[in-house]
Amino acid sequence: MSAPLVEVRDLCKVFPVGGGSNVHAVEHVDFSLDAGETLAVVGESGCGKSTLAHLVIRLLEPTSGSVHLDGVDITSLGNRAMREHRQKLQIIFQDPFASLDPRRSVGKAVAEPLTIHGKGTASEIDDRVAQLFERVGLTADMMRQFPHQFSGGQRQRICIARALALEPQLVIADEAVSALDVSIQAQVVNLMMELQAEMGLSYLFISHDLAVVERVSHRVAVMYLGQIVEIGPRSAIFENPQHSYTKRLLDAVPIADPRARRDRPLITGEIPSPVWEPGTAPTRVELVEIAPGHLAARED
Amino acid sequence: MPNETSPAQGSDAEAILSVRDLVVTFGSFTAVNGTSFDLFPGETLAVVGESGSGKSVTALSIMRLVELGTRGKIEQGEILFRRDNGEVVDLVGLSENEMREVRGNDISMIFQEPLTSLNPVYTVGNQVAEAVQLHQGVDKAEGMARALEMFQQVRIPDPEQRLEQFPHEMSGGMRQRVMIAMALSCDPRVLIADEPTTALDVTIQAQILGLMRDLRQTTGAAVMIITHDMGVVAEVADRVVVMNQAEIVEQGDVYDLFENPRERYTQALLAAVPRLGSMTGLDEPAPFDLVEMETVEMKQVDS
Repeated sequence: MSAPLVEVRDLCKVFPVGGGSNVHAVEHVDFSLDAGETLAVVGESGCGKSTLAHLVIRLLEPTSGSVHLDGVDITSLGNRAMREHRQKLQIIFQDPFASLDPRRSVGKAVAEPLTIHGKGTASEIDDRVAQLFERVGLTADMMRQFPHQFSGGQRQRICIARALALEPQLVIADEAVSALDVSIQAQVVNLMMELQAEMGLSYLFISHDLAVVERVSHRVAVMYLGQIVEIGPRSAIFENPQHSYTKRLLDAVPIADPRARRDRPLITGEIPSPVWEPGTAPTRVELVEIAPGHLAARED
Repeated sequence: MPNETSPAQGSDAEAILSVRDLVVTFGSFTAVNGTSFDLFPGETLAVVGESGSGKSVTALSIMRLVELGTRGKIEQGEILFRRDNGEVVDLVGLSENEMREVRGNDISMIFQEPLTSLNPVYTVGNQVAEAVQLHQGVDKAEGMARALEMFQQVRIPDPEQRLEQFPHEMSGGMRQRVMIAMALSCDPRVLIADEPTTALDVTIQAQILGLMRDLRQTTGAAVMIITHDMGVVAEVADRVVVMNQAEIVEQGDVYDLFENPRERYTQALLAAVPRLGSMTGLDEPAPFDLVEMETVEMKQVDS
């Protein structure tokens, strides 16, 4: 067994919100991710899944804990070393329009990481960008066009091309297909899977959409109020969920079959606030291994 | 086909709302191109389609909001509304003043983002009471009493305290309940819900969809829900209208449509829907099995 590509250990992020109160966005999170593997992180608004993504790519500094990539703790790297390491990690966001400069051609947008990291001469970079465009299902002659000339799905393909330019090992997809129409979403998801098979990419797939997650992931982590309450192989989470919150999430997903319409047990209540008053903090959940690789928080 | 009649038409039931050959344009762009469909009392009709299919413009046209602010134009067609007394009016011919009587009283609408639909500087109770005062000509105390009653009906916990809160003090799910309470406060006969759960978390979405199903039984209002989500359609709709590129592709009973989609577009749309449970027994991820479809996406957008 080779070492995992990513190892996250005891990662915490606390945001002070004034008056001594804190938002515990990410609390004692542990997980690992192998090369070529997709780990999905699911949960509802405010559960900390996007904060977790930003910590793993170090767009945010953790309050405590570590993130090892390829055996190196990236949370302790200086700027220069981090810049080298950033090539191995890329992120794709939900809104591809906001991620592209409206006044710069999309070819330049995809070329930028190659230029910054000095990956070849101008004409070599041009060839590489053309190749990337073809690879994500666009054509090389689109390179000279601008973001507003593309549809949402095409823009997301451009963002994927840019993320792949430096041949990363880990791609973080933060709700990357959530804003797309369903037919386009399916095409982009299929593209991401093809690229994974071809390039051996690992994905950290942040999503609130459990039906998409079921398609793409090898393993799934369920987050609730900043903590992982259940993690395990995809089939274990979907077919044998243990934690009450995982079950509740799965029960709430609408099923695209009117014959499966059921009288749901009416879910009541909402997720409590993640803001903790001065001097208080959340209780750390204790994960218990139920089956190999399948851990769930103990509940009273 | 655009002029196809619904299966229920011709039966005893008389449509409460009939859209006939509706054409709506924005400058040289045709957003709705000759659509016809009916809404019957007590039913939930889902209008489903992808971005740019014309589903929201259809809803805004019924409310006659498409001409306000958005510079849309109803070029052609009729929107026939059957009043309580059986009289049928064409909403397209009504003046803005006459329309104001219809909105809220006869036809109400809720939107995707409840935060932008609520005024940040007034309490939610005041806002619901104001709607009642304006439409029913009652005083403030009666308006507040009705607001409280509506909050209870949409199952807002601690309704008395909630009346005093401002929109920013509430969660997205609570705000959408307030919007539904406001929309139903004057007993409309038609409720149009444009992507009412799209901005909500899945557990909250389930609560709101359950609420909308229950309210249909208690109020008897006909519901027209605009959505892109086939899961939502399957959960709440009696009948479905499928739109693509400004036209109605197919319409029919929800069970027939899911089991036996006739048009290639509907088949492709259903094939692309991620279905929970479709991967049971498999260890590895698997790509979607896509049916070839021509979508707006395939054509490059003109600059």
